Amino acid sequence: MKDIKRYSPVEFKVTPLKIENRDHWDVVLEYHNEGDGPWLVDLCHRPRLDLQTGHLNVKKPFGITIPAIPGQSVLEKGFLINRMNRIQSSIYHLGGDAVEIPNETEYTDVTEATVFLAIIGAPVFAICEKLSSLDFRDKTRETPFLLQGPFSHVPCQIVTLSRDGEKSGMVLTCSRGYAKDMVDAIVHAGEEFGLKPAGEKRFSDWIDSL
Amino acid sequence: MMSRFNHLPTLKIDTSDKIPFTYRGKTYYGTKGDTVATALYANGVRIYARSLKYHRPRGLYSMDGECSNTMMEINGTPNVRTETTLLKPGMVIKEQNVKGSAKNDMLGFLDKMDWAMPAGFYYDTMHKPAKIWPVAMKQIRKAAGIGKLSPDHHMPGKYDEIYPTCDVCVIGGGPAGMKAALAAAEKGLRVILIENRPWLGGHFDYRTTEYVNRQTHHDRAVQLAKEVENTDNIRVFTHTANVGTYNNNLITGFQVGTEKDSFTERYIEIRANSVVVATGCIERPLLFENNERPGVMQAGCALRLANTYGLLPGKTGVFSIGHDLGLEAAVALHDLGMTIPMIADIRQDGQDPSLVKALADRKIPLQRGWVAIEVHGKKQVQKVTLKSVDGAVGKTVDCDVLVASAGFTPLTGPLVVNQAKQKYDPHTNFFLPTDLPRKMHAAGRLLGFENSRTIEASGHLAGIQAAYDCESCSIADLGEAKKAMESLPGPARGTKLVMAPVKGRKTFICFDEDTSIKNIKQSIDKGFDVPELIKRFSGAGLGPGQAGIPGHNLPLFTARYQALPDIKIRPTTVRPPLVPTLIATYAGTNHTMLKRTPIDDLQRKDGGIFRNIGVWQRARYFSRDFTAKKEIENVRNNVGMLDGSTLGKFRIHGPDALNALQRVYVSDLSKIKEGRVKYTAMCNDDGCVIDDGVVIKLGENDYYFSTSTGRAGQTIEWIRYHTRYDNWDFSLVNLTDAMGVINLSGPNARKVLEKVVDIDVSNEGFGFSEYKEFLVADTIPVKAMRLGFVGELSYELHVSASYMKALWLMLWEAGKEFKIQNFGVEAQNVLRMEKCHVILGQESEQRTNLLDIGMGFLWARKKTGYKTVGVAALAQAQQDNTRLKLVGFKMENNGRAPRDGALIVDDRIRGHVCTARNSFSLNEAVGMALVEGDMSQVGTRLAFYEDECNGELIYGTVVETPFYDPSGQRMKM
Repeated sequence: MKDIKRYSPVEFKVTPLKIENRDHWDVVLEYHNEGDGPWLVDLCHRPRLDLQTGHLNVKKPFGITIPAIPGQSVLEKGFLINRMNRIQSSIYHLGGDAVEIPNETEYTDVTEATVFLAIIGAPVFAICEKLSSLDFRDKTRETPFLLQGPFSHVPCQIVTLSRDGEKSGMVLTCSRGYAKDMVDAIVHAGEEFGLKPAGEKRFSDWIDSL
Repeated sequence: MMSRFNHLPTLKIDTSDKIPFTYRGKTYYGTKGDTVATALYANGVRIYARSLKYHRPRGLYSMDGECSNTMMEINGTPNVRTETTLLKPGMVIKEQNVKGSAKNDMLGFLDKMDWAMPAGFYYDTMHKPAKIWPVAMKQIRKAAGIGKLSPDHHMPGKYDEIYPTCDVCVIGGGPAGMKAALAAAEKGLRVILIENRPWLGGHFDYRTTEYVNRQTHHDRAVQLAKEVENTDNIRVFTHTANVGTYNNNLITGFQVGTEKDSFTERYIEIRANSVVVATGCIERPLLFENNERPGVMQAGCALRLANTYGLLPGKTGVFSIGHDLGLEAAVALHDLGMTIPMIADIRQDGQDPSLVKALADRKIPLQRGWVAIEVHGKKQVQKVTLKSVDGAVGKTVDCDVLVASAGFTPLTGPLVVNQAKQKYDPHTNFFLPTDLPRKMHAAGRLLGFENSRTIEASGHLAGIQAAYDCESCSIADLGEAKKAMESLPGPARGTKLVMAPVKGRKTFICFDEDTSIKNIKQSIDKGFDVPELIKRFSGAGLGPGQAGIPGHNLPLFTARYQALPDIKIRPTTVRPPLVPTLIATYAGTNHTMLKRTPIDDLQRKDGGIFRNIGVWQRARYFSRDFTAKKEIENVRNNVGMLDGSTLGKFRIHGPDALNALQRVYVSDLSKIKEGRVKYTAMCNDDGCVIDDGVVIKLGENDYYFSTSTGRAGQTIEWIRYHTRYDNWDFSLVNLTDAMGVINLSGPNARKVLEKVVDIDVSNEGFGFSEYKEFLVADTIPVKAMRLGFVGELSYELHVSASYMKALWLMLWEAGKEFKIQNFGVEAQNVLRMEKCHVILGQESEQRTNLLDIGMGFLWARKKTGYKTVGVAALAQAQQDNTRLKLVGFKMENNGRAPRDGALIVDDRIRGHVCTARNSFSLNEAVGMALVEGDMSQVGTRLAFYEDECNGELIYGTVVETPFYDPSGQRMKM
């Protein structure tokens, strides 16, 4: 039905420039005055899956091998697959067209369970440092890698995708209910660095560049 | 205004940039780079404040805020350390703890009353008779204190926080700290260097004497600072005080922002693999009569006043010192124009020959083995009496400044707060740090080194040691660094505690608390014979200077006064914060982090009044009538909607999913039928009920279950914990936030729902306790349950969070003709209480088990083989009649309801009220209470005791439950 809308828990106080309706979501592709970065992007509409089984080693979601060590991530074919622990992996669909969610019971669609954000730009780690003691700059970790821990005091999954100057960036998920306060905290922390909301296009271009 | 030097290479001020400020109502000017204290000094201010107890005049002393002498009120904030606070345009500066002015304080007469205030006088004199104390306390508090703060004072500024991580954290940006940082950085490590002052350089920075090969100490400091700043992997935080160090090398501090920064102050919490402490030394105060009179200052203070801030401390300066820095200061200040009639050096020998020659060249008399014994001058230094250490000869010399310094005290605070020990070293006369914590190293002057190259080499060694901790260098590197140290001079001989024979009545060992030598003697004479006891009895070291001034003088003097043959006495325990820290800085940005439901904005638009409930914000009321009467009546008579999205929601799947559920739930869940809802509960090992909710079978080995709002965050861990040895294969997914919940309740609920859905929702088609899945408008997937928590026909609709708003609005539209209204948490609370449905945490507390609250019917006693958590305890408890029981009660004579939590009493406490309200459905006050077993019989009279009831009890009677619709027809209609 045309009238039924799905709502993201994230609402930026800026005017959208381009919007696309996708599976009942109003996806903002671009905002007015996005600036030169850093950027904060709402990705709540992007599908996320939880894959949980005692036999994770034999699973190949979307044909991709799950990293063997907890904390490792892999970005392939538009999917970001993060090894969380012995039995659990999170899967984020970051790019490309809509996907069919696997029918196996080990998969749970958790798109609605979390708020999903990307922070992109050179000062991303300086911003994050104001909100978390997690070590995003740890040289012993190769990107992409997953950190699970508090960000602005809230348990989060954070995947650092790049630490390459302007291309630096990460994606973050936490319980959906925290969306407003999490966005407020990030926007506040990023104020001094010129952090601005950006549309999905900015994110897609960034992912393509990695 | 005093004229200022502007030609010195060491200056940190820009005399061309004037900064206006207000002091005592008048406008003055400082210069860019000034601290508040130096700006006032430049404008002729010598008395900054009055002391805590005796209202003695106090002035500039250390330049590092080691005592409360120069604490003032700035822009309404009291106790600002003006020696370390940079001047900003428009600052309004006031004196504190004065009646009148700092110069003419009407309470100055108290200085003569010291005879009436011996150490611990308030313990001795003001408690007998006891009624004196409240009066005396009031007067003492009026007269004493350092600054006043209004309870509604709003702290100006912006306070931030950061949590950086590094391999090596170096505390102290002097030569040793910088060398340590460079050494660790050369090994490829991430280094953080924090420095208390606004620039790097430490004690090299303000000295123009030769370092090596005609390079001055200042130039060397600049050279090292440039190296540090140009090293990418060293991150420098200047103007950053170290506040605490903790195990696992957590370092805390705060940074003062510059005009370029976005913050006024920011709290810093550093996690490091290894730590180097190179905090250097402060000067040990010299003890003599009136040793804190304005005009008396430490050698470093006098030298920095001139070399850093371009101010000559005075016209004529006498020196009474015990180290070469004092001699160096005398030479430097003489060359800048100060007349120096005499230097009294405590030491008989050991002076640097080049400095002795420099003094001789300038015809400055140096008296070895002499010391100041008394300063004269009512408010400022006018002259000083000096004597030989044995007291045999002496003289009095006119001056306006006395530079006084007995020796050095190592700044071991960062080590000691992290559990390092201290041991007296007779060579350096320091209490040196020993037994350093793992991966923590000390370097530089705090180890007693005075030779500049040794100081740097010790820093380099510490940096290499830290790199070794991080597995980034070899044992050979370590050996090389140690070898380099060995070829250099070791720790210098320190100055013993020397003081000429004085009575000590006005010889202050602690400036902050006005504690004199005489007070220390009084404490020891009363049996308080170690510094920790003396501190508490006399107050020495309890002030805002964090024991900076009494520091090591206190244990040294304590040992001497008791003629202890060996100094086993230790300095008092140091605790964080190592420097005074604003509460605002600790608070930081303090982002509110609470959860909101998917229709939070709709509920606010509809006038919801929100309260924090656990991690959530929930609409408790929808009007200012906090009885929620209209909301309750609308649910009972029409239809209402409640946002129940905060309920915990989980999926459990996998071959052992049922086993896991059987382990934690008391009911037998193997009997759940698809399409039915099973209400059940969890207990802890003691049988105490911790959670309740419903379980639904979605498919083979696949279940959906709900928990209470408060338990949602712990549920996965709870289940995993209680199945940890079973090696069961099951998966748990938290869907709490993924699903919104709409509770559609009231006699017209069916009429509303059937307008929106395509399925049969009649009582036959969708009966009580049934579960259905369907699509609304072919789009919105819904999990629906027929429940009756509020005692009316109710549907609980679980819907994907992103669709929640759409479905809510559809139901709202459909319900308009039936006068649909919101109802909030309070209305729900009353509605379910009338029905005697429990809310865990409200009708239960930690000791309440499943049986106590009448929910024993959930316990499947025949279920075996699952080791269900808590059932062993329940089996025992069912024989126990002494336990509290949940009962319903009504109030006598149509009286009002008691408050939640009111006690139930006879000659002792017999229980408490869980929930009680004036019921609009029943037209009387009813409630539920936990009472002792013998009071749970119907007809028992209960007496309620409420806070502040002044002994006037109210009464009720135990009645049958539930109060409302006992047959349950309304929820099954």
